[in-house]
Amino acid sequence: MAHDDNHLRALMLAGLAGDGAAHAALLRALLPPLRGFFRRRLSAKSSGSRDDDIEDLVQETMIAIHQRRATYDPDRPFGAWLFAIARYKLIDRYRRSGRTMPLDDLGELADEFDFAQASDARSDVDRLLDTIPDKQAAVLRATRIEGLSTAEAAERLGIGESDVKVSAHRGLRALADRVKGGWR
Amino acid sequence: MNSEELIASLTSDLRPVPRHALGRRIAFGMVAGGVITLVAVAWWLGFRPDLMPAMHGATFWIKWAYTLSLAVCATAATARLARPDGGVGGALRLMLVPVLALATIAVVELAQAPRSHWLAMWLGDSWMICSRNVFVLALPIFAGLLWSFRWFAPTRLGLAGMTAGMAAGAWGATLYCLHCPETSALFVLTWYSLGMGAAGLLGWLVGPRLLRW
Repeated sequence: MAHDDNHLRALMLAGLAGDGAAHAALLRALLPPLRGFFRRRLSAKSSGSRDDDIEDLVQETMIAIHQRRATYDPDRPFGAWLFAIARYKLIDRYRRSGRTMPLDDLGELADEFDFAQASDARSDVDRLLDTIPDKQAAVLRATRIEGLSTAEAAERLGIGESDVKVSAHRGLRALADRVKGGWR
Repeated sequence: MNSEELIASLTSDLRPVPRHALGRRIAFGMVAGGVITLVAVAWWLGFRPDLMPAMHGATFWIKWAYTLSLAVCATAATARLARPDGGVGGALRLMLVPVLALATIAVVELAQAPRSHWLAMWLGDSWMICSRNVFVLALPIFAGLLWSFRWFAPTRLGLAGMTAGMAAGAWGATLYCLHCPETSALFVLTWYSLGMGAAGLLGWLVGPRLLRW
């Protein structure tokens, strides 16, 4: 939703004007999208250190957003600025750890920076998920949106791993039926 | 430290950011470096003795129009690349306009001169030191720009370094005009541009290392 970007932008502008409370509210509001952004992009090999990595990146990004807030151009969308910083921090992490990142992925990343569009898509998904049983929706949110592994999702939701797999499968099929059936 | 503590530590005692903070920082870094370059021109090279009469002639202003327009374009590109979501825009392509304009003037000058003068017009009296001087005079301004970048968030480090180097080279060349008595357009097009290009190359090479944040 464009509303999202406008809201964050308003907080940002108030923060730039010196309003500490607005700046804190902005940083707090950015935690979930930043966690989601990094979670989707870090490989799930070792889940323990992965959560630490995500928190590290989130905090580094927040510090950069704070220290380099003068580089925000008020005439441009806030989300593009935010995710350009998050993306830089992610690439910098890869570079420091000596791993390479194929350029193809970078192109894909760039497509996701339109914050307004991303929020739009998210609200569509939310409405669609509301139409299927709660357990299936919870499993899909955990595995497909947040990017948890089957084991992580099972632990979070307190159900068995096979239950996670079955629910994800049924949930996806139910969603497919609704989309095919002309869901609006 | 958890995120809540981090937010609290970042936002207590928050200082407002003036609206044009980024432009001011760039200007401040370049002016600070430019003062050093100007002092270097005055003490190391010396102003050209005929500076005042030369400023009444067209040649001096053609040289300045060339270096100043390049400086403005490169500075604009640098300011855009200082932001994380900034592209170069058209500023770099716009730099072709003064280059082509000066090339046209050079062709006209050559056409009007006998062929036997061409080599002298190209090399002037100072071709061996001109590019080096422009490059050296760019260094303080480039250092000033690097200082400015400590508050910025460039994401294309090589490109940002290159435009910063070219901006420093073009401003340095502008100040070098106060010393350099050469008059031919072909001379300026070749040796000035070479010095500015070298400064841009330096920026491109060191950018990824020095502009990281």
